[in-house]
This record gives sequence, structure tokens and C-alpha cells, in this order.
Amino acid sequence: MRTTDTFPGVRWVGEPELFIRIDPKKCTGCGGCLKVCLAGCFEIVEKTARVRSLEWCMECSACWYVCPQDAVEFSWPKGGSGFHTRFG
Amino acid sequence: MDCTLRESYDVVVVGAGFGGTAAAHHTARHGLSTLVIERAENIGEKIISGLTIPIYGFLFGPGFIRDGTPPIERPVDGIINYIVTDIDREEIVIDDTLRFPKPFAPIFSFGYNAYCADFCQWQADEAVRVGAEVVTKTVVSDLIIEGGSVRGVVLEDGRNIAAKIVINAEGSQGLLSVKAGIRKKYPPRVISLADTYDYTMKKGDVDRIFGHSIRFLWAWDEQNMAPPLGYGNGLMVWPYGESLHFMQDQCLAMDDGTVQNLKKRFETYHKNVVEKLPWWRDDVEAKAELRAHTWQCFEIFVGLDDELRAMPLSTGGMLLVGDAGGLESTELCDGVPAAWFSAEIAGRVAREAIEAGDVSEDFLSRYDREIRNHPIIAWSITAPHRYLLRNAQQDHDLGSLRKYVHAGWGFGALAHTVSPLFRVFLSAIRQDPRVLTSWVRMFFRNYRHWHHSYSDDVSSCGDEVIRPGDRSVGEYIFIFLMWWSDLVLTVFWPVLWTMSYLFVPFAFLMKAIAGFMVWLYEPLYVRLLGRLDTSAVGMTEALIRFTVKARAATFGAKKRREP
Repeated sequence: MRTTDTFPGVRWVGEPELFIRIDPKKCTGCGGCLKVCLAGCFEIVEKTARVRSLEWCMECSACWYVCPQDAVEFSWPKGGSGFHTRFG
Repeated sequence: MDCTLRESYDVVVVGAGFGGTAAAHHTARHGLSTLVIERAENIGEKIISGLTIPIYGFLFGPGFIRDGTPPIERPVDGIINYIVTDIDREEIVIDDTLRFPKPFAPIFSFGYNAYCADFCQWQADEAVRVGAEVVTKTVVSDLIIEGGSVRGVVLEDGRNIAAKIVINAEGSQGLLSVKAGIRKKYPPRVISLADTYDYTMKKGDVDRIFGHSIRFLWAWDEQNMAPPLGYGNGLMVWPYGESLHFMQDQCLAMDDGTVQNLKKRFETYHKNVVEKLPWWRDDVEAKAELRAHTWQCFEIFVGLDDELRAMPLSTGGMLLVGDAGGLESTELCDGVPAAWFSAEIAGRVAREAIEAGDVSEDFLSRYDREIRNHPIIAWSITAPHRYLLRNAQQDHDLGSLRKYVHAGWGFGALAHTVSPLFRVFLSAIRQDPRVLTSWVRMFFRNYRHWHHSYSDDVSSCGDEVIRPGDRSVGEYIFIFLMWWSDLVLTVFWPVLWTMSYLFVPFAFLMKAIAGFMVWLYEPLYVRLLGRLDTSAVGMTEALIRFTVKARAATFGAKKRREP
């Protein structure tokens, strides 16, 4: 289990597997996913977005919605893992 | 993951949120084998924003919620709107016309605030009680599709679970809906990100500063106090039991396709509110302690787009419920009632389809028709006030802005909600004349439970064993009145039933009449509020005392509420 002061009240359970992927062939490096992600999950490398870390991902899927090229492949982390909170 | 699952069920429900558990309760209660599959470890802990549940959800939604004792956090007696035109000069316009009058408030309320996890867990428990199975920590990764119809689900470990009907209540993302080919991924301009801060605060401070009212904040773009109006909903603060819920939401992209830097925007808004907004800076800041920071996407303008609104809500073997069907309420920024209404309809249509042995796309399309004809859903997803707010804001037209805030979240809201509410009221009366007394009992019961959960001066919590003779005279009078009302309503039900149909045309006209007459009765109502608030204090306290001290069974509580 991981916790953070940056996002209190949330605990992350399990290893952060790659449940979000970016298809480098489709990505144009527009950076939309970086702009909408509050957890800093993405970075631009050589004009292409890539997943830096899903460690603090809240599974909001903003990256998936916002990608104009459908380059973001979004699924759910394996059952029970990912973020947990009781204050929503 | 549970290994005891059967290979097939009558109904498989994906998602144990507000909609999924309500649908499962319906099908299980009617004897259909029902499985609910939830991806989270604990029910509701992947849901981030339930906030205020408007009272019409409780009145006209699933009976087990109305007649039960769900874990509400605080009754809501109204909305206070703050329009910030110049924060540095503290020029703020206030509209607090939408309030429930004393002595009835807060016992009779506009709605209830609730934490999603607790509420959904309660709904899931109720569904299990009537026979549904609920499995957690399990992701549905795909669908079994044969001949163009959904025949079941595929779990992440590759297991297949067959189902006559799949009720898809997976939430906004709709990954399975997209896989089934029912609908497309929504464009980012109709999707909003809700950024939520949850603060703990002593109940006495919450009572003193917020009472039972929600606070909304609207501001010009350059004030940097709240996201652009219409592309989100500004800032909202909800008082909960012993806490505050602070939410700002912003659409992912503007009309021209520009993607917003949400991290930067949200940090700026939050900082400015905390440091500049007088009531937060002076009254709240020192007393509130941050407990959680979470966020989630949800659909917000889906109903206003012709193409998106026309997307089907069903296919052969599958029905979409709540957010999965894009049924979030554009008007009231709350999708829980829409989830409940659609869940009830989905449960019933699924039952009819299974009984008829026909789960085809054609048969299930009756679900689409019923959803689009549901007065409240149709109104709530298509009302344009948020959209109009944006136009007013871009023009810096304070008059128009006040008008649309007033029409959406002030007294003017009553003018355009009266028709749909009256139509479902007539429908409810037709089905059960005793629903009227059920509503009265519900208000008293919910208030009592809330008070017993959070009051410092009431040590007892829960529904004690009933001992005849312990009731007060007032309780006996209340019970007699309810019994007498039920008797009269039942005897005269044929008359009520007939009259309810005669009133239908009048229901359609009420919006126009109320809209025309609002200029007349609003000043009277506001004046009455001012008078009642001061003169009805004694009556209010007496009503609260009666409600809190009465036996739970006096108000129809049927089971003990878990602590």
C-alpha cells in the first residue's frame, strides 16, 4: 500500500501495472493528456507522450477522453487495486 | 476474485454504484438470479462525487430507498449562490431565494448530502438482503456477444458468465458500452473533471457557518475564483455531517477544442478561494482540516448535444443505466436520481423481457422510450441553464447571469421543475395512494437518523427495540394521523386515480403558468421566509424535539441501522 501527502485520504493498493497505454504510432505529441492529468502520469519524450508513472493515477480517464488521436488505451487496473478512498 | 460464481445468471449487473445496486435490488426482489460485479475492493470506493441527492430522487425513486434508513450525512434546506464580480473589492451578489421555510426545514428538505461509499454499500446490502449476489475485486474486461446480442460478460481472468440480460452501470467511461457498439466515446467538451477536497470540521462550526445550506460560487473568468461558468459549475461547498465537501469542476476542452491545463487552473482557483473569499478566509480556513483530495470525470453536457442524446441506451441483451447511459443531470449537476430512475426502469424492462423470453434489441428498445419519456430525466438532462450562463459570462452581462443562476439554482428553478415533478407525482399517486404518508414518514425518519448519528447531545444511535407505552402522546397522534390518512386515501383511491389523469394536461401547463407568475409569488415567498425564520423558531425546535425523541418505529423504520 502506498500513501501520499499530496493526495491525502487516498491509498493506492497493488503494483501500478500499465492499465493505461499510449500508442506511439498514433500520438502526435499534442500534450493534452499532460494538461488534464492532475497526478502527473505523463511526459513528452521526443515529441511523443508516454506514461511516466501511474503511481498516483485516480483512474479518472481524462487522458482517454481528451486524446484527439485515440492514442490512449484505457482499461481498469486489476480488481481491487488502484486507488481507494472513502471520502467521495 | 470469487470462485463460487455460477456459470450463468438471469441478470448480471456491472458496477455496484447508485444505479447498479438499485437495478439489482429490483431484479433480485422479483426472483431473478442476479449477480453484481464490482471492480473495487469495497463498494463505492471508486466513486468520487455523489454530493447532494435531490429530494425528488427519494420521493420518486426506488421504494426500498424511500422506505429504508440510508446513511445520509446532512439534510439540505436550500442553496446560497454567491456571484463574485470583483473579489479584490469584495463585490459579491447573493441569491438565497431557494430555501425551505421554517418550521419545516431542515426536517423537510430539498435533499440530502451523502458520501458515496457509505450510501452505495447500504444499497448493496439491501440488494443482497433480497437475494442478489455481489462480488467485488473483479473487473469485467469484455462482453460475450453472439449474433449481435450481448449474452454475458468476460471476467479479467478469462471466465465467462452468461446472462440473459446485462445491466451496464459501469459509470461515465462506458468502456463496455463502446465495446458493445452501443455508443461512442464522448468528446472532451462534454466531459467535466470534478476536483474534490474533503475537509473535516466540527459539527458546531458546520452548523454555525453553513447551517443546512449548500453554497455555490460563480465568478467572471478573470477573477480566477472558479472555472468558467457553463464549462463546469464554478465552485460548490457542501456541508456534510462533520465535514465540508469542496468541489470545482471544469470541462476538459472548450468549444474550440482547446484543452485546459486543469492542474494549474484548479490550484489557482483553490488558492484564491481559500485566501480571498471572505467567508472561507475568515470563517472556515482556521477550522477546516484537509482530509482527502480526489477527482473524477463525469459527463455534463451530453443531453444538450443532439447526436449524443440520440445514442441508444440498449442493444440486444444489454441496458445502460445512469452515467453509463450519459444520464448525468446537466441541470442539477447530480446524476443520482437519474441513476435511480433508470435503474428501476431497467430492472422492470429486464424482468419483462426475461418473462417474455425475448431479450432482443427490438424488445429492449422500450427501455429507451421509457427513459426519454421520463419527465424528470428528460428535463434534467436537457435543461440549458448552464449553457446560457456561459453566454452571459462571456458578455459580462451581470443581469443575464443573475437571471440564469436564479432560474437554475434560485427560486426560478421551481418554475421549470414544477411540470415534470407534478407529472411524476401523478404517476406515483396512481400506483399507490399511501405513498403520500410514506413520504412524510421518510422525512421524519431520515432527519431523526441524521440527528442521532451526528448530534453531540444524543447518545443513542440506532433504532431501539420498540416498547409499547413508551411513546409520547404526540407520537400516538402522529401514528393515528398516518393511519387515518392511509385509510382515506385508499378508500378514495379510484377517485384519485381518475383525477390524476384529468390533471395531466394541467401538469403540462404548470411550467408556463409558474414561469409567468413567478414575479408575483416570489416576493411573497421571500417575505414569508424572512417572517417565518424569526417567528417560527419555537415551532421548529418543538418539531425537532418531537422528531429526535420519538421512537424510530413511529416513523416507519423497519430495521436496525448498522452503526
